[in-house]
Amino acid sequence: MSATAAGGLLELSGVSKRFGSTTAVDDVSLTLRPGSFTALLGPSGCGKSTLLSLVAGLVHPDAGRINLDGGSLLGAPAERRPVGLVFQKPLLFPHLSVLANVGFGLRVRGSSRRETRRAALEMLERVQLAGLEQRRVGELSGGQEQRVALARALVLSPRVLLLDEPFSALDSELRATMRRLVRTLADETGVTTVFVTHDQAEAVDVADDVALVLDGRLAGHGAASGFWSAPSSLAAARFFGVVNEIAGQVHGGVFSGQGWGAVPCDVEDGPAVLVVRPERLVVDAVPGPGPAVTATVHEVRFAGTHLVVRLARPDGGALVAHVPVGTDVTAGSTVGVSAPTDACTVLLKDVTARD
Amino acid sequence: MSLPRRLRILLLLAPALTVVAVFFGAGVVQAVAQSLGYQPYLEGWRWSTDGYVALWDDPAVRASFALTARVSLLSTVLAAVLGVALALLLRRLGRGRRWAAGLLQADLAVPHLVGALCMLLLLGQSGLLSRIAHGVGLTATPADFPGLTADGFGVAVVAEYVWKETPFIAVVALGALGRATAELEGAAAVLGARPWQRMRHVTLPLLVPAVSAGSVLVLAFTAGSYEVPLLLGRPFPATLPVVAYQLYRDTDLTARPEAMAVAVVISALSLAVVAAYVALVARLARRAV
Amino acid sequence: MRLLAAVAVVAALLPLVPLAIWSVSDAWPYPSLLPPSTTTRGLSLLVAPRTGAVHALALSLGIGAAVSVLAVLIGLPAGRAVGLYRFRGRRLVQLALLAPVIVPGLAVVLGLQVFFVRYGLSGTVPGVVLVQLVPTVPYAATVLGAGFANLDVDHERVARTLGAGPVRTTWSVTLPLLRPTIVAAALFCFLISWSEYVLTLLVGAGRVQTLPLQLFAAIGATDTTLAAALALLVVVPPLLAVLACSRVLSGRSAAGIGLGRL
Repeated sequence: MSATAAGGLLELSGVSKRFGSTTAVDDVSLTLRPGSFTALLGPSGCGKSTLLSLVAGLVHPDAGRINLDGGSLLGAPAERRPVGLVFQKPLLFPHLSVLANVGFGLRVRGSSRRETRRAALEMLERVQLAGLEQRRVGELSGGQEQRVALARALVLSPRVLLLDEPFSALDSELRATMRRLVRTLADETGVTTVFVTHDQAEAVDVADDVALVLDGRLAGHGAASGFWSAPSSLAAARFFGVVNEIAGQVHGGVFSGQGWGAVPCDVEDGPAVLVVRPERLVVDAVPGPGPAVTATVHEVRFAGTHLVVRLARPDGGALVAHVPVGTDVTAGSTVGVSAPTDACTVLLKDVTARD
Repeated sequence: MSLPRRLRILLLLAPALTVVAVFFGAGVVQAVAQSLGYQPYLEGWRWSTDGYVALWDDPAVRASFALTARVSLLSTVLAAVLGVALALLLRRLGRGRRWAAGLLQADLAVPHLVGALCMLLLLGQSGLLSRIAHGVGLTATPADFPGLTADGFGVAVVAEYVWKETPFIAVVALGALGRATAELEGAAAVLGARPWQRMRHVTLPLLVPAVSAGSVLVLAFTAGSYEVPLLLGRPFPATLPVVAYQLYRDTDLTARPEAMAVAVVISALSLAVVAAYVALVARLARRAV
Repeated sequence: MRLLAAVAVVAALLPLVPLAIWSVSDAWPYPSLLPPSTTTRGLSLLVAPRTGAVHALALSLGIGAAVSVLAVLIGLPAGRAVGLYRFRGRRLVQLALLAPVIVPGLAVVLGLQVFFVRYGLSGTVPGVVLVQLVPTVPYAATVLGAGFANLDVDHERVARTLGAGPVRTTWSVTLPLLRPTIVAAALFCFLISWSEYVLTLLVGAGRVQTLPLQLFAAIGATDTTLAAALALLVVVPPLLAVLACSRVLSGRSAAGIGLGRL
């Protein structure tokens, strides 16, 4: 990302929003650096769209502050905030041509017809829709419509660009293309971008940072890679596909539980959970170094790029391992299961995470 | 069903098209024929254009054209403007909205004949408004209150049409102002459009198709209505449908062709209005903005 | 905003006020704002057999019911054809169906009178029912056409794969799905028939006395009390009908249905 003057510093502190008896956004505090590209990730219906509406000004928070470059956004109505929003549905104006749609924001703020036309045509070219400016909205495909919506927002040089799952209606290959396009444009213009999605793979693919939102609350914010290798909470771990949880205790900076050997960690004493990603577990006749247990193989399934091995521990727990195709492991056999120490993350047993 | 597609469509359309052909088509054909002199009851009738000549020369008919055009155009424009305003107002309302919507639907149920009576009792020179004017000291006798009913301009007629058709247009407009419109207004707001800009560039353009369709219906109705102008207007000048009926009822059967000629002119005019509307819509849809 | 809404409500209800007052007062001389006394003469005249109001009420209800049922029955297949199929001449058919709504009925029926007389339908109730089909069938067809256009045909296809024949499918799947539209169409046909004056006058030749005809005569006479009472009677059944149907229509604007097609 380029920290140019184009992108703004977006700060949310203590933002909350309730609709009736449902809390959509619960005390969210988030700081986004100018020019950063952040994925706002979370399961469907957990407040991500509401957060975007709050920043854009379509909805007012019940509590909290929203600042852009140090100044509060809350006093300004939506039409005066330098924030661009691409909705889940393209929401193109059906009675206007593509060119008129893209130029709408410019005309509304008083740009001349000629200047609007020039800027709109240039932006249409950047989203690779040159030549379609006279088309009517009904003649476009889904991908084309979203590109027009993107152009319409970007042509106004916003300081913050918000995208609300804009490609969820497109097929996966088109989605990948569109993601690259958005990323390229964001990098070129330097605008601070927030990209909402419920797909962790998409989040990690398109963004540098991830802000995880669960149940309306911020459950983690940091570099995307960290969420995979070292999730910060049990809820976050579960969202990212960790299925191996070993319950135990931490004493004096060391975790032990259910037969796994001692794992050093910096979690405070008390009940804790060790989590390991399936692909980091090592299944072998002879247990390797690092924490290890013995287990019985319950089922082996071919999954294309790997084998899914389901294991049962003598004390009743279950483990899932992804091993390379060709590993010698058969159902019913007893094997050793281990994991390298750096693949193990010890987390507090989060009382709010659903069991 | 194993019927070929063409045949199936034809069978489905048959009953309705039969009704239209028999009762509408035949009626129009008969009216045209009789306007050109065809008189099944009169001995020795002959084809002629006397009916149209008489129409052209008849001062009652000429005055009627002006009155009918004035009354229907004015009523339609007023109903459309007020109806849209009413719909936008209702949209803002929040809680009282269901009551208001119910009131609108109730107004749609009131027959025009009743509306005409209401206007007589309200706007007449001894009606409620006149009494209120007397009560606040504006007038002293019934004659001081302006003659709104049985007048040459058609004030009470327009009032009745506007009272009944404004809720109709409002209902049509509300139907077009669904959630989709609200979302587009939100998108326009984020793009920087202020409230009145959103109204001008998004809301109103989106209302145009439905409201113009409704307005065409209102125009056709007000031009063709019979009982309201009869009750609230004067015998002369009368609107075209009233004139047609008067001529039809004339015991002198030689007035019959003229009556039919008026009927034919009414039909032709209304069809022309619709044709113009359809052509206009088709052309607007092709215009690149 | 609230003020504007209040003004709108007053404007909507004001014309009905003198009507309501007149229906219960015998003499209401100018310039008093309220009548000196109330009376039930008007209301009791309504039920008096001499007035014929009860008979007219029954006649109007019967004709209205017959017309709405017939119009919907005829309009359903036409609506299906126009709404579900794309065929050459579809636009033309739509316009043909709309023409009787646009062209004033008076103009058409003046020409039709000859037929009605010749076939002995003049002055009969069946004649009046038939002539009232002219404005109602096209309306029903257009509204139902819009309903069919919004119908998801896949529901019917699913029913067929489950073994239901065409009749069963129509009865158990299509019609229930179309219920709001059918109700809207029937309601509007009833309202059109209920208010119809000049067509009934022409074809009924004064012998078929529906409520509107009675009301018209009362307005022309000097008994304002009776006229007002009759007017109230004329207003009640349509109001009840709209009320009864508003739950089925669940708030969607019934008039809006079918108007986007013009």
